[in-house]
Amino acid sequence: MLNVLLKKQLTEIFRSYFYDPKKNRARSKAGIVAYFILFVVIMAGFLGGMFTFLSLSICDALAAVGMDWLYFALMGLLAVLLGAFGSVFNTYSSLYLAKDNDLMLSLPIPVRVLMTSRLLTVYLMGLMYSLAVIGPAIIVYWLTVGVSAGVIFGCLLLVLLISVFVLTLSCALGWVVAKISLKLKNKSFITAVVSLLFIGGYYFFYFKAQTLLQDLLANAAAYGAKIKGDAYPLYLFGRVGTGDTAAMLAVSAVVFALFAIVWAMISRSFLKIATSSGHTARRVYKETAAKQRSIFGVLLSKEMGRFTSSPTYMLNCGLGIFLLPVSGILLLWKGGAIISTLNEVFGARAGCVPVLLCAAVCMLASMNDMAAPSVSLEGKSLWIAQSLPIKPWQVLRAKLAMHLLLTGIPVLFCLACMAVIYPYSAVDLFLTAFVLLSYVLFSALFGLFLGVTTANLTWTNEVTPIKQNVGVLFAMLSGFVCSVVLCAGFMLLGGWKMGFAGYMALFGGVTLALCALLWLWLRNKGCRRFASL
Amino acid sequence: MLKIDHLTKAYGEKKAVDDLNLHIKPGEIYGFIGHNGAGKTTTLKSVAGILQFDQGEILIDGKSIRTDPLACKREIAYIPDNPDLYDYMSGIKYLNFIADIFGISAADRQARIRQYAGLFELTEDLAQPIAAYSHGMKQKLAIIAAWLHRPKLIIMDEPFVGLDPKASHQLKGMMRDVCDEGGAIFFSTHVLEVAEKLCDKVAIIKGGKLIRSGAMEEVKGDDSLEEVFLELEGEVC
Repeated sequence: MLNVLLKKQLTEIFRSYFYDPKKNRARSKAGIVAYFILFVVIMAGFLGGMFTFLSLSICDALAAVGMDWLYFALMGLLAVLLGAFGSVFNTYSSLYLAKDNDLMLSLPIPVRVLMTSRLLTVYLMGLMYSLAVIGPAIIVYWLTVGVSAGVIFGCLLLVLLISVFVLTLSCALGWVVAKISLKLKNKSFITAVVSLLFIGGYYFFYFKAQTLLQDLLANAAAYGAKIKGDAYPLYLFGRVGTGDTAAMLAVSAVVFALFAIVWAMISRSFLKIATSSGHTARRVYKETAAKQRSIFGVLLSKEMGRFTSSPTYMLNCGLGIFLLPVSGILLLWKGGAIISTLNEVFGARAGCVPVLLCAAVCMLASMNDMAAPSVSLEGKSLWIAQSLPIKPWQVLRAKLAMHLLLTGIPVLFCLACMAVIYPYSAVDLFLTAFVLLSYVLFSALFGLFLGVTTANLTWTNEVTPIKQNVGVLFAMLSGFVCSVVLCAGFMLLGGWKMGFAGYMALFGGVTLALCALLWLWLRNKGCRRFASL
Repeated sequence: MLKIDHLTKAYGEKKAVDDLNLHIKPGEIYGFIGHNGAGKTTTLKSVAGILQFDQGEILIDGKSIRTDPLACKREIAYIPDNPDLYDYMSGIKYLNFIADIFGISAADRQARIRQYAGLFELTEDLAQPIAAYSHGMKQKLAIIAAWLHRPKLIIMDEPFVGLDPKASHQLKGMMRDVCDEGGAIFFSTHVLEVAEKLCDKVAIIKGGKLIRSGAMEEVKGDDSLEEVFLELEGEVC
């Protein structure tokens, strides 16, 4: 039975790899292979590459002074952080909000089997992210220090323990969120705020970790002794990777015991939470004066309502709404120091610093990709938009407007903060605004283009269109690529020869030209495609 | 009111609707019956402008759904077999959303919402999110939304499923009122007793082809509609 459920869960997760919604049939073998290669390249190449670099920079230094355990402890902690970050937001919706919960519970399926199959998706997500850190760390260690049977076994066990620990953390937080959701009004916002606090904490520790890391390398022996004394479990955790049998047994016992406790906790409440309507006191309708709104206004309001109703949607596709203003305020606070540091490193070439600032804002804006899943999120309610007397373009335009408003306003706030801390000339400020706003328009149009072309309307859990959709992944990556191209074009590909103003005008112009192409596609073919979904 | 000419719609190799012709006049309640997978929903969705068909023509009040979909959609309302509404809206927000799309004035919508929600005893629940509604409540909300803009033609796919007896009775009355005011109703159902009592005309579809249509009395003669339907099913088999 578990096999059948696992197969169903996996089919749902990887559906877009095997099924082409455009042609309404299975993908060719070549297509499937290409999709998986692309996935591996992104995970292994992008994330894995980053952590390979980090591993290379600390492995040799720590191993040379006999602190191999500290190396594994550090990389293991990073793996836990990244893994938990990648999977924690899935737990609540995967476990408790799946649309087929009622169907599954009506079948003769033991609750623990259903929970296991649901948690498999969370486990896989956590494993994928944590493996992107610990995988390269292990390979670098094997290549730098060498391998033995004990080390191989220890490293493999470390991967397993990390992934189980990540699952434990995700389950615990998912359970807390579920409990909160049962009792509170405005739970979408509260869930989003709780999760944002988690993200804030995550980044706080992440940045602290960077500083600590450098300090650790300089004073490895002293810190090693301190960790052994004050944080012995962390020492044991690191020893697992070196193949220490006692450490392997002790850490395994603790990790599996913690998981058992969390499992017992969620097993006990699963049925109650999953079958609860989760609503607070019944609100009785009292007639108030109605107001007539324009079609655009009502469609935009519908999109905003959809966005704010789902913490999963807000957190996965709207992080920029939070990060952009926070970064703007950070700029106002620490802007002087940031600018002088950037000037020291890149100041030799005029224009580099404002280009970097602009690229950083584009990067943050790329955390907003709410247009990409918006078509798939129509789901089975799509018949409403299709049967009403509105043009497909009106529906798509509302989705665009949502993205533009939710990204454009924070970007403009950030721009205002940049203008305060950096001495832009009027022309340079105008051109920076031009590039930023044309990028925001591009990200909205490109996201919607991907949303229409990779639409998946047959999901049972909204995590599928929001997080496990190729279109959303591409939309986010396109933002990173755009930011990198903006920097690299100026600093490495000779853009600086045109001067800041010339380069920004060219970049903004090319972006606008791409926007025009995407706009035309959406107005014509995109509308037809949407109407035929 | 509704003229379907040689409608054909295929999914891949399989023809879901094959050369279907149907004519519904103002004032008629037209029942559409057939076994599961016969092509009823495909036909209804094509009439509602949701599905693009391969061949034929559908005219609503003389306008083509293919060439002038917006004008047609302003005249019709559609209720699907499963009322998947916007779960994240409250009932009243959904009704206001529909009213805004059709440009219904504030005063008119308020009066109609009061009237129909009262009829279905849904008024108190309108502030609740749709996610908290039962299937029957969603169906009632979909019906109220469909009636809001006073459509000339109402297309319904299995409208009685999930409704309690009182709501079913109210709906039948509302259907008759629409027709008395010069509108028309085109709906599918598996409840042949309801179709027999309620419909002025009936069409029977099998394997995408229309196998019998006309006035109820002509189609069933002295037999019950159920007997005729089962006999026709047997004949074609």
